[in-house]
Amino acid sequence: MIMNESANPNPLFMPRTYLTTESNKTGSWRFARPRYDEKTSPCSAACPAGEDIARIEMLATQGLFKEAWETILLENPFPSVCGRVCFHSCEDLCNRREFDAAVAIHSLERFLADTAIRYGIKPDLERRTPRKQKIAVVGAGPAGLSAAWFLTLLGYSCRVFEASEEAGGILRWGIPAYRLPLTALRHDIKQIEAQGVSILTGKPVTAEMLEALKKDFDAVFMACGHGLGMAMNVPGENLKGVGEGLDFLRQIRDGQTPACNGVSAVIGGGNTAVDVARSVVRLGGKALLLYRRRRRDMPAFDPEVEMALDEGVELQELMAPVAVAQEEEKILLTLQEMMIAGEENSRGRIVPDHGKIHQVRVDRIFKAIGAQAVEPWHQPDAADRDMLRLTHTVLNRRGTGAVLVFGGDLTNATKSVVHAIASGKQAAIALDALFQEGVEAVVPRMEACRVGDGQSLSMEVYLGGERRLRNPHVVRYEEINTDHFQFIPRVTQPRLLKEERARSFEEIDLKISAQLAMKEAESCFNCGICNQCDNCYIYCPDTSVILERDTQGRHINYDYCKGCGLCVVECPRNAMSLGEETP
Amino acid sequence: MKRVLEGSHAVAEAVRLAKVQVISAYPITPQTHIVEILSEYCTKGLMNARFLRVESEHSCMAALIGAQTAGVRTFTATSGQGLALMHELLHWASGARLPIVMAEVNRALAPGWNIWVDQTDSLAQRDTGWIQMYCEDGQEVLDSTLQAFYLAESVNLPVMVVLDAFYLSHTYEPVDVPGQEAVDRFLPPYVPKFQLDTAHPCGFGPLVAPGDYMEMRYHIAMAMDDALIRFGEIEDAFAAQFNRRYGPVEAIECEDAEIIFVTTGTLTSTCRLALQDLRAKGEKAGILKIKLLRPFPYERIREELKGAKKVAVIDRNFSFGAGGIFAQEVRAALCNTPDHPPVFGFIAGIGGRDVTPEMLTEIYRQTKNSDAPQKESVWMGLHEVKYAD
Amino acid sequence: MIEIRFHGRGGQGTVVATILLAKAFFQAGYQVQSFPFFGVERRGAPVEAYVRLDRGKILLRTNVTTPDHVAVQDQTLLHSINVTRGLKPGGWILINSPSPPADLTPYAGFQLAHVDANQIALNHRLGTRTHPIVNTAMIGAFARMLGMPPLEAIAAAIEEDLAADAQSNIEAVRDAYREVCLLGGIG
Repeated sequence: MIMNESANPNPLFMPRTYLTTESNKTGSWRFARPRYDEKTSPCSAACPAGEDIARIEMLATQGLFKEAWETILLENPFPSVCGRVCFHSCEDLCNRREFDAAVAIHSLERFLADTAIRYGIKPDLERRTPRKQKIAVVGAGPAGLSAAWFLTLLGYSCRVFEASEEAGGILRWGIPAYRLPLTALRHDIKQIEAQGVSILTGKPVTAEMLEALKKDFDAVFMACGHGLGMAMNVPGENLKGVGEGLDFLRQIRDGQTPACNGVSAVIGGGNTAVDVARSVVRLGGKALLLYRRRRRDMPAFDPEVEMALDEGVELQELMAPVAVAQEEEKILLTLQEMMIAGEENSRGRIVPDHGKIHQVRVDRIFKAIGAQAVEPWHQPDAADRDMLRLTHTVLNRRGTGAVLVFGGDLTNATKSVVHAIASGKQAAIALDALFQEGVEAVVPRMEACRVGDGQSLSMEVYLGGERRLRNPHVVRYEEINTDHFQFIPRVTQPRLLKEERARSFEEIDLKISAQLAMKEAESCFNCGICNQCDNCYIYCPDTSVILERDTQGRHINYDYCKGCGLCVVECPRNAMSLGEETP
Repeated sequence: MKRVLEGSHAVAEAVRLAKVQVISAYPITPQTHIVEILSEYCTKGLMNARFLRVESEHSCMAALIGAQTAGVRTFTATSGQGLALMHELLHWASGARLPIVMAEVNRALAPGWNIWVDQTDSLAQRDTGWIQMYCEDGQEVLDSTLQAFYLAESVNLPVMVVLDAFYLSHTYEPVDVPGQEAVDRFLPPYVPKFQLDTAHPCGFGPLVAPGDYMEMRYHIAMAMDDALIRFGEIEDAFAAQFNRRYGPVEAIECEDAEIIFVTTGTLTSTCRLALQDLRAKGEKAGILKIKLLRPFPYERIREELKGAKKVAVIDRNFSFGAGGIFAQEVRAALCNTPDHPPVFGFIAGIGGRDVTPEMLTEIYRQTKNSDAPQKESVWMGLHEVKYAD
Repeated sequence: MIEIRFHGRGGQGTVVATILLAKAFFQAGYQVQSFPFFGVERRGAPVEAYVRLDRGKILLRTNVTTPDHVAVQDQTLLHSINVTRGLKPGGWILINSPSPPADLTPYAGFQLAHVDANQIALNHRLGTRTHPIVNTAMIGAFARMLGMPPLEAIAAAIEEDLAADAQSNIEAVRDAYREVCLLGGIG
């Protein structure tokens, strides 16, 4: 050190300090205590599968596509399917919606799944030590396969019995290829099989066989779905020209080309009805979609309805069938016009508009007004009070034999792919809790792995992963510090032109580029989770936020933190909390 | 070699020749030409220096305080409002005994918004502990800047080289720009007396209790006194190398003068012209040009003014409520000497107005015709103002 | 001492003209001073710049108010500015114009010269077709008008300051020196 001051002819006294300010422990002044407190994002609470979406987008932002994809798999074995056909309630509750537009979570899920397929990525997932119990699953649809997947991860050996010649259930036979191409479905199923799930196809389970399964297995999960179309209860509905929409879709998925000449009337307003109508158009026919309520009341996803109309489907609202009759070559369909008499459950309540009767002549009719269980014993006995009724499943452990669990469409109020997955996950968790800790543990363990305040369950939390440390509080928009965000236009989902769509079953939605995906993921607020933005570190006036370089973590040095709360205020995503200092 | 140079460029040439290592500045007219050319020198590799862009003059001085504490030679330039914004850190630079050199182009303070010459900006900083040198022409600017580094580093105090806006900063005239070797023979490399050292970490400027603070201040007072002596030695060394000398003050025909003008900056030159006329008419006039404001050369000023009958101080500045600032300083220097001449104060050329030979002659006439000053300051050349309707 | 005032518009190189002229006079053995009107300059706005020259050191540090000679780089200024303001009687006025002003009455008592500096600048590709840089041509004409400074001194000043485009500028100086039209005293 240069110390020439004293050698100076003139005195030059320059005081120095060799002490650090560390001797002054300013932390003793603190009366409020900040802490890292990761919370729950509204999207993940809204996702029936409880996917850790805020974290998935954070990983995607960093280009960690494999890790992001694995994070999906922890909660949902069907990213490739859900990235295409899920109705993404996550986006409805995205906090970004109040800022500019919701993050395109759906497109990003699809991107991550496609990226995994493209590069042949294999997931590295932890598996529990093997358990002795064996479980039979009836039906290889989304619920059955999900249950098998999660049970396998939990250490159980599973066998899936599927009546059809290929696994997938409604995904394989009920959703047209333009929404869900075979390759995408098969990839997810292969992934499930690779995890150790064995699927026996062409094995319908009869009532007798079920009894046999109950003897050979410790539990049977009934997830054979609703395969029987509902009746319209109108005269003539059993005429030759009246068919089930689901059967029509199944024929197409089976490689056949059912006749579609002339006009096909499609009765219903759900996704199946829209799928049938659009498939009719693709096969060269004209589709007339008849729904008894208004368009805005249709349960089908609105973008699908929009595209159907673009492709040439004709929609007639407020039309209910009252009679079907054969008339030479044609079928005469008599319709009662309905009118809105009020609102109920945010849908229009309808009554007949008496006197307004219409008749249309069509070449055939497809019913798509819902489905029910094929056999009565597929369903849990509604009168049986001893059954354990959970949100998405029903457990029956009567007697000493195998536990019988009902799930999927058999028990779900909302019949969707992601609800089926939620049901499979719930069945897996319930059975594990039951086998390991007894029936009393089922409900408390289920409660402990709820995501936020909703009904979604997290397998990661159940397995004791880091996600269990999250505060169940769901982050609200007002809790986001939007000063730290910029307006960014939402990615536009690229699609085939309607001219291309209307003549082929090619997939409509196209993949987005990695660059676009990362940019879109970057727009995510990452509500409630730390994405290492380091605002806490930057804004701390007392250098009391300590970065852990090796683990990329952070902690607060409470010896010096004065509790000013700047870190909490400047955390853009409410991943920190300020609490009272307790002496 | 003599080159026709702008005053601003004369500063820049001296900074280049002094091999300054860190330059920081924020642009402000009329200083901008100085740092404009220096940043060009840095970009083109004509100087081995870092040019730090900053968002304000306050940050600029803070950056230089850091750099100089780290042990390198530093420079900045500013003007008017910019200097005012630096004020807090000017105290810090001198208190921390950092030999930072600054070129300060005198600019009037707003409002009214005015980019022209007025010394009030630098004179308002006279108590910050900075040495201040006022310059008359481009040659003096270049020479003083070179001397400033030597002087600053000798006494560990910062130096402000002060030049008039436009009359000097933007005026081209012949300037002798010395060669690098000659400058190297004159100006030794910078050896800090203390500096930051990562091998031996310590903090400068800690809390200093009453028990020590007064001694620190006293040391600065002694360094200022020493600066006057050192300035003489440095001028000797400079004269030996370059054969030019300015002095803390310059007495022009004062030996037999009865009325002596006291001047600073470029109006000294115009006054020299007026003096030639007055002498030709047989008037016994003289000029005392003040170069150093701090440390104030009291002894020399008393010595040079003791024979005069009257003193006329011309201030291109004003301290509201107390008159021209150089007039105050001169009065303070004389007040304890017996039979000292009366000091007449004149305010002229404020805000960039011309101070012409005619005005100077008028000042002489008024001084000659009054037995004693009628008031603290006489404002020259005022005219009627037109009020808005 | 001789004082010269240049009139021009921001962007025409008016300040550079006075600097070059000062440097040329310095080369020729004069003491010089050159400075712009101390103001705020903007492209297109009228600007002024000055040169002082003398055999001895120049002590005067004021604006130039009573010039000995004037140069006008843009003849459109003649309509908006009184270019003879303070001009000493008998002083030269050099105007950048292919022809003398139609009305000579404002110039009575002075000497007039004009040069087509625009055309000369265009011939040597100085500036652009719409904005020719006329300052070097004006200096050339000025040197002929006053009989100083010598062309070699101007060339040396151009070499120092406009090294990148020295040759075209020097040629512009020579052309203007040759082509300037000296009308002389206006009665």
